[in-house]
Amino acid sequence: MSFVDYTKEIQVVEGKQPLRTIDDIISKPLETKPDKKFYIAISVTLTMLMFGVIGLGLTFWYGIGMWGNNNPVGWAYDIVNFVFWVGIGHAGTLISAILYLFRQKWRTGIARFAEGMTIFAVMTAGLFPLIHVGRPWLDGYLFPYPNQHSLWVNFTSPLLWDVFAVSTYLTVSLIFWYVGLIPDFASLRERTANKFKKITYSIFSLGWRFSNRHWQHYEMVYLILAGFATPLVLSVHTIVSFDFAVSILPGWHTTIFPPYFVAGAVFSGFAMVQNVLIFVRRIFNYEHIITLNTLEKMNKIMLVTGSMVGYAYAMEFFIAWYSGVQAEQFTFFNRALGPYAWAYWIMVTCNVVSPQLFWFKKIRRSIPIMFVVAVFVNVGMWFERFVIVVTSLSRDYLPSSWAYYTPTLVDAMILIGSFGFFFTWILLFTKALPVVSIAEVKAVVDGAQPSHKDH
Amino acid sequence: MNDSSKTNNVLWKSIEGLNNDPNIQKMKEDEFLDGVTEDFHPNQLSGISRRKFLALLSASAAITATACTDYQDKGEIIPYNKRPQEVLPGTENLYASTCNGCSLSCGILVKTREGRPIKIDGNPDHPINEGKICTKGQASILNLYDPERLKEPLFNNRKISWNDVDKNIIEVLESAVQKGKEIAILTGELTSPTTKKVFDKFSEKYPTTKIYSYSTINQSTRSKAWFECYGSYEFPSIKFDEANVILAIDSDFLVNEDSYLENMRLFTKRREVVGKTDFNRLYVAEGRMSATGMMADYRIRVSPDEQYNFVMSLVNELSKKGSNIEFDPVTKSMVSSFSINNFSKKIGKEKLNYLIDDLNKSRGKSIVYAGSTLSKEVHLAVNLLNEVLGNSNLYNYLNENVVILPQSSREDFDRLIDSMKNGNVDVLIHFGSDPVFYLPYDFEYQSSISRVKTVISLSESLNESCSLSHYVLPLNNQLECWGDSFVQTGVYGLQQPVISPIFNTRQKESILLTWISGSSSNFSSDNYHKFLIENFTQTVYTKLNSFSDAKRVWLSSLHDGVVTLKNVEKLHKKISQSWIPLLKLAKENSGLTVHLTESYFIGDGYFANNGWLQEVPHPITKVTWDNYAALSPLTAKKFNLKNDDIIEVSVSNSKIKIPVFVQPGLSDKTINIEYGYGRKVIGDVGKDIGINPLQLISKNHFETKNILTNASINKIDGTHKLVTTQEHHSLDDTFVKDFHKIRKIIQEGTVEKYQKDPKFLHEHKHELFSITNEHTYSGNKWAMAIDLNKCTSCAACVASCNVENNIPVVGKDQVGKGREMHWIRIDRYFSGSPEDPIASNQPMLCQHCDNAPCENVCPVNATNHSPDGLNQMVYNRCVGTRYCSNNCPYKVRRYNFFDFRDHFADEYYQNNLTALVNNPEVTVRSRGVMEKCTFCVQRIMDVRSTAINEGREISPNEVVTACQQACPTNAITFGDANNPDSNVAKLRNHNLTYHVLEELNIKPNVTYIAKLRNTHSEDNS
Amino acid sequence: MSEKILYSYTGIFNSPDEIIHAAEKAVEKGYKKYDVHTPYPLHGMNSVMNLPPSKLGYIALIVGLSGALAALLTMFWISAIDYPIVIGGKPLFSFPAYVPIMFEVTVLSASIATVLAMLFFFFKLPNNAHPLNGTEYMQKVASDKYGISIQCDEKLFEEKSVIEFLKSVHAKDITPIYYDNEEINYKHKIFEPKFILFLVIAGLITSSVTYFTLNKLMFIPPFTWMMDQSRLDVQSSSVIFSDGYGMRNPVEGSIARGSLPYQFQGQPELAGEKLINPLPSTKNVLELGLKKFDIYCSPCHGFYGEGNSRLQGHFPNPPSLHSDKVRNWPDGRIFHVITDGQNIMSSHASQLNVDERWAVVNYVRVLQRAFNAKESDLQ
Repeated sequence: MSFVDYTKEIQVVEGKQPLRTIDDIISKPLETKPDKKFYIAISVTLTMLMFGVIGLGLTFWYGIGMWGNNNPVGWAYDIVNFVFWVGIGHAGTLISAILYLFRQKWRTGIARFAEGMTIFAVMTAGLFPLIHVGRPWLDGYLFPYPNQHSLWVNFTSPLLWDVFAVSTYLTVSLIFWYVGLIPDFASLRERTANKFKKITYSIFSLGWRFSNRHWQHYEMVYLILAGFATPLVLSVHTIVSFDFAVSILPGWHTTIFPPYFVAGAVFSGFAMVQNVLIFVRRIFNYEHIITLNTLEKMNKIMLVTGSMVGYAYAMEFFIAWYSGVQAEQFTFFNRALGPYAWAYWIMVTCNVVSPQLFWFKKIRRSIPIMFVVAVFVNVGMWFERFVIVVTSLSRDYLPSSWAYYTPTLVDAMILIGSFGFFFTWILLFTKALPVVSIAEVKAVVDGAQPSHKDH
Repeated sequence: MNDSSKTNNVLWKSIEGLNNDPNIQKMKEDEFLDGVTEDFHPNQLSGISRRKFLALLSASAAITATACTDYQDKGEIIPYNKRPQEVLPGTENLYASTCNGCSLSCGILVKTREGRPIKIDGNPDHPINEGKICTKGQASILNLYDPERLKEPLFNNRKISWNDVDKNIIEVLESAVQKGKEIAILTGELTSPTTKKVFDKFSEKYPTTKIYSYSTINQSTRSKAWFECYGSYEFPSIKFDEANVILAIDSDFLVNEDSYLENMRLFTKRREVVGKTDFNRLYVAEGRMSATGMMADYRIRVSPDEQYNFVMSLVNELSKKGSNIEFDPVTKSMVSSFSINNFSKKIGKEKLNYLIDDLNKSRGKSIVYAGSTLSKEVHLAVNLLNEVLGNSNLYNYLNENVVILPQSSREDFDRLIDSMKNGNVDVLIHFGSDPVFYLPYDFEYQSSISRVKTVISLSESLNESCSLSHYVLPLNNQLECWGDSFVQTGVYGLQQPVISPIFNTRQKESILLTWISGSSSNFSSDNYHKFLIENFTQTVYTKLNSFSDAKRVWLSSLHDGVVTLKNVEKLHKKISQSWIPLLKLAKENSGLTVHLTESYFIGDGYFANNGWLQEVPHPITKVTWDNYAALSPLTAKKFNLKNDDIIEVSVSNSKIKIPVFVQPGLSDKTINIEYGYGRKVIGDVGKDIGINPLQLISKNHFETKNILTNASINKIDGTHKLVTTQEHHSLDDTFVKDFHKIRKIIQEGTVEKYQKDPKFLHEHKHELFSITNEHTYSGNKWAMAIDLNKCTSCAACVASCNVENNIPVVGKDQVGKGREMHWIRIDRYFSGSPEDPIASNQPMLCQHCDNAPCENVCPVNATNHSPDGLNQMVYNRCVGTRYCSNNCPYKVRRYNFFDFRDHFADEYYQNNLTALVNNPEVTVRSRGVMEKCTFCVQRIMDVRSTAINEGREISPNEVVTACQQACPTNAITFGDANNPDSNVAKLRNHNLTYHVLEELNIKPNVTYIAKLRNTHSEDNS
Repeated sequence: MSEKILYSYTGIFNSPDEIIHAAEKAVEKGYKKYDVHTPYPLHGMNSVMNLPPSKLGYIALIVGLSGALAALLTMFWISAIDYPIVIGGKPLFSFPAYVPIMFEVTVLSASIATVLAMLFFFFKLPNNAHPLNGTEYMQKVASDKYGISIQCDEKLFEEKSVIEFLKSVHAKDITPIYYDNEEINYKHKIFEPKFILFLVIAGLITSSVTYFTLNKLMFIPPFTWMMDQSRLDVQSSSVIFSDGYGMRNPVEGSIARGSLPYQFQGQPELAGEKLINPLPSTKNVLELGLKKFDIYCSPCHGFYGEGNSRLQGHFPNPPSLHSDKVRNWPDGRIFHVITDGQNIMSSHASQLNVDERWAVVNYVRVLQRAFNAKESDLQ
């Protein structure tokens, strides 16, 4: 580990890269045929996806009964997965929007990729509300459209808020992503000789021509979008947390949920981005663009958010005790000591303890260790949602209706399938689009900006 | 008209369909009705292409439109050709009849729709059960529509026509008579005098006939004991409503024994909290944990084999304090040999003293009652004790228990089986009975049956005896039968069919009558009907000395379903003490004691194939679809057993392997096993459900009944999963102890406390306010009140609700997953110590909260509030997110995880026959839909429409929900809370009223009346 | 090959500083119709070219706010006006619950509007036909060079001076850019065969899918909205019973509650003396009687019981009810006729229940009295 001086800003792109080489590096994957590694990877993800498809098939054919859900545990893996994936989907927009507002230059290397992951994660998450219902062919009922029953939806239901939040989030992220892609499409258009590619790129680049009169508006729009995306990304997980916070169930009905969920989302999001990037930068030799410093910065964020989450856990307990409501207090004792204690302690070790390692610089800057920690964090965050959803439900107000929930094989298949779905998209993305924003990176290479000597 | 003949058998769509009206023909020919396309003729249009084009366009549009909107055929409409006077399609009819489910023969009122029975309820005019009917009775409607009913007569498992059956059998019978071989008829307990008469005629015609009667559930010991004391087998029923103190000796008289519907009613008359509270006090001395035990104010753990000593020592104690009768010297010495001391150790001085004081204080106003599973000796002792206390005036001689055909003794059966073995029995007729299943194994009935030339089984569905018979003759279901019953003096019940036999079945009496007539050609479907009327006229009509003619009286009695006969009350005889010397002090039994009791919901196994009953949770353990050996926690610890372990119970030289269930409150030396389970030859639902403990009974126990002493158990490896509808928490687990009290789910007090301070329940209550202003309900607002003082957890409400609301059967695996569909459940909470737990029961159903939390979270408005305060489910709008269920603090919503009719026991109940049991007024929910209690909205709507037709308001207590109608103790009250004269409105303002989870401020509309325990202290625990 | 039309002159620079300098010069020279092309936005370029600040912010503001308002109004209209349902005892218009959705709609509408506005109104994209596209120049500026292009519709444009100027700022390879003739001369046809084919296929697919869903899919369980109930409804057939009728006849000799068979079958006289009219002639009773009489009796007997049938001789007229014979009948006798029928009049027992029959009897009495009223009645 070389000595790092944190006092002065480190350059984002290491070494003085000529702009053309940047072009070359970034567009290389798009211009070369996919190699063996790629085919192996995609076949793995596709098999995982197959599991999911089979699981869903069984569910649709026989009914939700194929899952472990019961009365009282009406929600289990389905919603756990939903919240988990929505959480993953938070890093991207945070990196590309919030860090943009904070003028964090180091974001440029990872922004595009993170946004991509956001979109795929939200797509994956979006599946679950649609499939978790008993009669999925009637999902249309969830949208307010005039119909022959002249019946409308219930605007006081958090689930409906979800419908709006998630769909908005997906749309805006897509727009944001596309706007960022336009100049890159243009430069790809100019590079490629292949006729078909040229046509496609021309269509998507909309005939962009790097005019400065455009750049001016373009930057303004980028700013505005960032401005919108920032509260949006916070709102989405807030609203997801309302699913629980608005109910009256002890363990769900908590005011701390919105900030707690957002922190958790960023936490898991960064972990996932970091995991994937470690592979990407190695495979495509982006070490100079996605630098170790960037990764380290991400680890720092993980440390912060991880500690926030830890604080939230503690605070929940305190408030439960402080409230003096017996049901409330019991729910939390039950989490730590009840039949689901194992899940709770997995959660705590993974989310609170493991990120604390990032206090040490060595660990922050060691790729294998940070990778392992990030994996832990993802596992932990999945279990956090499991603990919140399942333990609270399994033992609520009336002891007479308590019951233990055990997942079935189909549950597991669908969980695996969701990962398959997500990573398949990621793989296709790496071969289809520039995973790093060409224009943005160029703009931050040193010497890329005028040295206002005569001003 | 000429083709009237045609109309009878051919189905036609409409009147016009009959006579070939040219219009109809025309309508059939051109596809579109007038107006759609009549003015469209492309060829006749002028040459202008535009118009032609437009015309074609519109035409194609019209065709597409019709194509897209052609809904598929929903089946033709089939009215009555000639409507029967009493039937109005779409409205219900009620038929008074009598239930044959068990020997109680309660009066029932069968609800039919268009001549098809859809529900069974009690007959309000019946003096014994006064409009109530038990769980089994409620659910027994399913037996009529059981897909595995016998449909055709069988000879060696091959179909055969009734005609041949009759011909052959009559030959067989005659030859038997000629050869002087015995014709044995085995019947269950007989309740019908007319059937008895048929037997008599049969024996006249075939003199070598012998009749044997036996049923596992019987009162033989009680009636024998009565005979020895008072010289008559016919013992009186008890006036429980007049008793201030009741001591039940191992007797489940409230929920599952003797005339329990009547007992419950009389008992709860003394648990009334409206008006003055003069509660009776119930002591239960028992070895097992019975539903009656859960009602007890004081429970005393006495193992059944010690009961005799216990009662005698009570006699001793109380006779010291003075006696109502003179003891003979023998008796005196005999009695004095029993001492209470060794019990005061076991039971605890305090309790015992309370008991003795109470009995002593309320002499003549108390009753001691022994369970019918106990031996004759205990009953004798109890009779003596009652005499000592002078309680004889609580005997109700107006309703004596009638013995039409006494139980055959052990000797009878020994003789029968001997003569079977050496081939002296030619014909064996199982008259709707199943001896192979319930006769003690060491009679070797099963093996010796092969020596009989002709074995005939009359049965509704296959059973163990059928499988060994040559002839299997299908019987009518009780709802297809004529009949009568005479089980208590003064009450003569009549039974009438409400539907003509669905399959090629006959009723057992009419089969015998045909054989009596001596020729198969003499059969006529109404031969027993005629016989019955004739018998009625001879026996009953003459007693009635009414003015109108016999026919008229018959019809009106049939209409009422019951005739009350005046009879003079017998005077109470002096008790004979001649039997005393024969008694001796029962010796201590070293080993464990097995107590076999009747299963709560499937009787002696007759109802084993009834899915609804198999799935009703056991009142105490909440176990479904199984029986088990219940052990006390201490015994379990001793043999280090836990739930689901399998043990081998062995008595003398018979053994059974059975799973264990650890049950607080059992006496440490008692093993309680319920019989009726473990049927081997039966429909798919009941086959191999549970273990058959009757295999333990040897013929030596024929007299001592179901108490098997000197039993031993040993653990064997392997487990068997018992599924319950309620998670079990060990009572000493401080982690979850007494939550029902802490969370004010159950609120209780004692009578003393209540009399001191009627408002004690509402001492620490603080004002609840909501930030939004409440929605007000003008007009009706439906509400329910449940009186926990009266709930005996008999689960009649559950069964009634199942039948009324088309609740599916989900099966054992799904119950195990916690997916049972019952809309109303009875929660059971234990507090106190594992040795003597205090049980609290609470019927829990949708509370129809004003601020229903389930409604806020439904994204599609599938659940919302009706203008009359109902929390309603719109099944067809429901997409099934289950969010409402998550947000329901009472967890009373039920979700169709599968299409359960389709999923249970590969589509067992998914067929056209079982579909007939479903209530046409209630939607059959598809999979993926949430459902819950609707307060029987279909009944509300029914009442409302009648009220509107008659241009009046709905009267305060007019609407009756299914559970309310079924509740034998009227613990459930329903009505319009906005109407001050309704019973509900009154109860809502009662001092003992509370809501479950009140502090959530969701304003439930089901209010509970706190239970008062009639103990000596002010604090209940 | 007609000679090309000139669009602009372009020059290439290697470093950001050079292009900035060039831009400054161009401004000094007073050029308006010129543009600078860089692979990424250059800091300070806007100020150098002194471009006015972008107006896009306003669009975002306006559209966003209107989106929020629209959302609020829609939700209010839906849940308080169009279909008010009480949900969880909450007020019909519960604003707090609407905030999240309002927010989402704001963001959605605003961001979409802004982007669309930029691309299609400000930039007039898509425009792949622009003369600069597909030129060497564009390839360079897309990658690592910086270029300036001075259009020929510029007022001060004049070939030499422009080239001069570019030279003066040390622009590399200065090249003229021409319009592409083909693109200029290209004519758009509306009905290209490809397009038509596409339409036809799309139409076929949509209609066949619609047909399948509406007529097949919707009738396969469980998609049937529970239309196929596993129960037997009124007036439907059943395969269980041999004759196929779902509605059964009660068993011979069984008695339903409240329907004891009529006692005096065929004994009118006996009925006359035995039966006593239980109903008083109260207003309600008579109204009921009137109603039932008009429905069931009047077609033959006429509204006033004079025997003037409305059936115009399709069915023989009954005798008047005002004959002395009928007037002197006891109530039970009339009741008997209604219940049991008489001559060709059939029994009306299945149409009228017992009370209704008695009510009709009372009403008939009233009619009779009305038809020969005595003086006393007028008082």
